Amino acid sequence: MNIDRIAAACQPYLLSLFRFVTGLLFFQFGVAKLFKFPAVPMFEDVTPLSLFGIAGMFELVLGGMLMLGLFTRPAAFILSGEMAFAYFIEHFPNSFFPLLNEGTLAIEFCFACLYLASAGGGPLSLDALLRARTTRQPETPSQSRR
Amino acid sequence: MDFDYRLAAWAPRVLSIARIAIALTLLQHPAAKFFGIPYVPFFDNLPISSIYMVAGAIELIAGIAFLVGFYTRAAAFVLSGHLAFVYFIGHAPKGFYPLLNGGESAVVFCFVFLYFAFAGGGPWSLDGVRSPEGADTMPQGTDRAHAA
Repeated sequence: MNIDRIAAACQPYLLSLFRFVTGLLFFQFGVAKLFKFPAVPMFEDVTPLSLFGIAGMFELVLGGMLMLGLFTRPAAFILSGEMAFAYFIEHFPNSFFPLLNEGTLAIEFCFACLYLASAGGGPLSLDALLRARTTRQPETPSQSRR
Repeated sequence: MDFDYRLAAWAPRVLSIARIAIALTLLQHPAAKFFGIPYVPFFDNLPISSIYMVAGAIELIAGIAFLVGFYTRAAAFVLSGHLAFVYFIGHAPKGFYPLLNGGESAVVFCFVFLYFAFAGGGPWSLDGVRSPEGADTMPQGTDRAHAA
């Protein structure tokens, strides 16, 4: 019971860590598709305006936003939808089972982002910084006097 | 702002939905190893004491507990450590970048479970049925009023 309470007290910060790692992994896909780093044989022939290239742009920009925690909710919502598309376009036609169609990662990303879209970015994010700034300013008496 | 609060109100339930989806994707692995569903040639004739089967047993037991949300935090903690081992034993030796060593999925699993070890299983779980407080994911801060 006590350990539940300690865990629950840390939960907001873990949410921010989780958001950062998810964003970092998306970012890695975006960088590999568009800038060929690290060089992945599968992404060798990806041009920026192909289906993979556009997916890479989403992953690069929105993954970067997830890392920073900037507009976490819309960014995560779009990435969640992108992963659903990725699963049904790329993986689902190959087999019903994610283990065989290699879509396990897409499912994990899809639901991780769905959760981030509802939970937000946590306390360690630019969202939290921006919110603190916008809500604090009118309340501070020293500033309103000036 | 108001829209954010409305989304935050759904967060605990979405946490439970994500928990079930993640548990099912994990449980495919022990299902393939022990029961051959789906059939994966790589898992054929693995000795029961091999590292794959021991891993499968951990995944099966902790995965089912995680699926139904029974001692979610403990199960998620075990699974998070398990996936960290999987990554460093199975994938990290093949290359530094997860994209090249095939360990992407293990990394995501590991951090998803780490988060669940702290957040709990959400309201739609056996933990949530047993004691709503144990499944409470938003104990502090102002969001609590909106999450109820």
